[in-house]
Amino acid sequence: MFEYEVNPDNIKKATFVVAIPSYNEADSIAFPVLQADQGIQSFFGDIESVIINCDNNSDDGTKEIFLGIKTNTPKIYISTEPGAKGKGRNFSNLFKKIVDLEAEGVVVVDADLKSITPKWIKHLGEPLFQDFGYVAPLYVRHKYDGTITNSIAYPLTRSLYGRRVRQPIGGDFGFCGKLAQIYLQSDTWSEAIANFGIDIWMTTLAMNENIPICQAFMGRPKIHRAKDPGADLGPMFRQVVGTIFNLMIKFYPFWSNVKWSKPTSIFGFGLGETEMPPSVKVNKETLFQKFQDGFNHCGHIWEKILQKETVNKLQEIRKMNKDQFDFPTNLWINVLIDFTVAYRDKLWVEDELLDSLIPIYLGKTLSYVKKTERMSIRDSEEFIEEECIQFEATKRLLIERWNGSKPN
Amino acid sequence: MAKILVVDDEEHIRLLYSEELTEAGYKVITAADGYKLTERIEKEKPDLIILDIKMIDYNGLDLLQDIRNKFYNLPVILCTAYDTFKEDIKSIAADFYVIKSFDLTELKNKIAMALEANIP
Repeated sequence: MFEYEVNPDNIKKATFVVAIPSYNEADSIAFPVLQADQGIQSFFGDIESVIINCDNNSDDGTKEIFLGIKTNTPKIYISTEPGAKGKGRNFSNLFKKIVDLEAEGVVVVDADLKSITPKWIKHLGEPLFQDFGYVAPLYVRHKYDGTITNSIAYPLTRSLYGRRVRQPIGGDFGFCGKLAQIYLQSDTWSEAIANFGIDIWMTTLAMNENIPICQAFMGRPKIHRAKDPGADLGPMFRQVVGTIFNLMIKFYPFWSNVKWSKPTSIFGFGLGETEMPPSVKVNKETLFQKFQDGFNHCGHIWEKILQKETVNKLQEIRKMNKDQFDFPTNLWINVLIDFTVAYRDKLWVEDELLDSLIPIYLGKTLSYVKKTERMSIRDSEEFIEEECIQFEATKRLLIERWNGSKPN
Repeated sequence: MAKILVVDDEEHIRLLYSEELTEAGYKVITAADGYKLTERIEKEKPDLIILDIKMIDYNGLDLLQDIRNKFYNLPVILCTAYDTFKEDIKSIAADFYVIKSFDLTELKNKIAMALEANIP
């Protein structure tokens, strides 16, 4: 039987909330719930708290598992209506609940986390009671885990909005009650945000609202269902990148006045030795092949939306064999600039346009993999930092393109 | 004229930075250690801080935390003889990390970038 809300302890108010969004996570949700409970009891024991599972009406028994876990912290289960799917829709329900509960601080953690510890709750939650309004996670990730973050989400949000938030789509984060109100009132909601665009949307709005942001060091790597960057990206890529592009249109007056970037405060030390993340395998052959296939499937779109020099450069690297293959950062920046302008000017059907970026992104990923193959995680971070500085240094070109000139 | 506070326990570094950065058009003040640093910042209101990491009685990375928590947007450039502190996650709270050198070109570039950085 469908129930929009199950609130066994009839909780009406809570100062602190730990929320766990889910869809069919019956086999994994117990662990983060127990860690969250321990975190709340150990570090927030003197304030009214609740654990909320915001679910997509899962049919695998997620609700029953969640409600059946023995915790010292009270729990609330809320769900979208039957048939309504999407991570963002879970958050929409969560924002309303936070406002109802008059919560001051909210920590969100993924339901499939295998590496969460009680200290994650402390590190993501404590800054919310110390003048910070948004807390992004900082974890050591394998250099090939999170390639959309490394190639697009991080460099773009950093150069656009000026704040160096390393994991803008981290999935585990904290935000203040005031932000829940802002999220509810925002007129930027879209179908993409109702799905996987939600994380980048929340981070971007926090930046645009000049909410004090900090990053919390988690100590342990994020261990979850990591994906091969060559595997099917499909909707997630479209929703995340589409949200970034869409928000660029809305927030042009803000980002066009941002120059270079600034760091944030860092929280969460004293965790002992940092644990290294598990290795992520990348199939270079698949990346290479998908980049090459892109010319057949998307070449006509690129011809239409990219500057002539950009198309010529892509053709140039198309001719390289896999061992020579190199995708220069400045070409990647030019591709992204052209795509953002084309998206804004609706030069092609939105979903097809976003999908046509995928083969180019996979080419860029292949180049990143080749260049960082022999690098440590730390050195690959340096590499990404250098790329970010190139993004910032060429922002003038982005603004010039946005202010007028058409492709070709 | 932008005011720069140089925090370094080595006198010759303070002198070098003072001379070169004054010549480059900045007003330079110095501190030999991190004693009551946040109070000094409050009083002197520098536009940027150049902070040594390894000082005899102070750890620049801890000072950086204090500065960042109290003065959220104040640019801080970590300037150290050692590359290894880059591996400490605390260092990313700095605007830039520069390896000490008698050629101040990189430091001057980073100072210019940090002072130009703007978030409306």
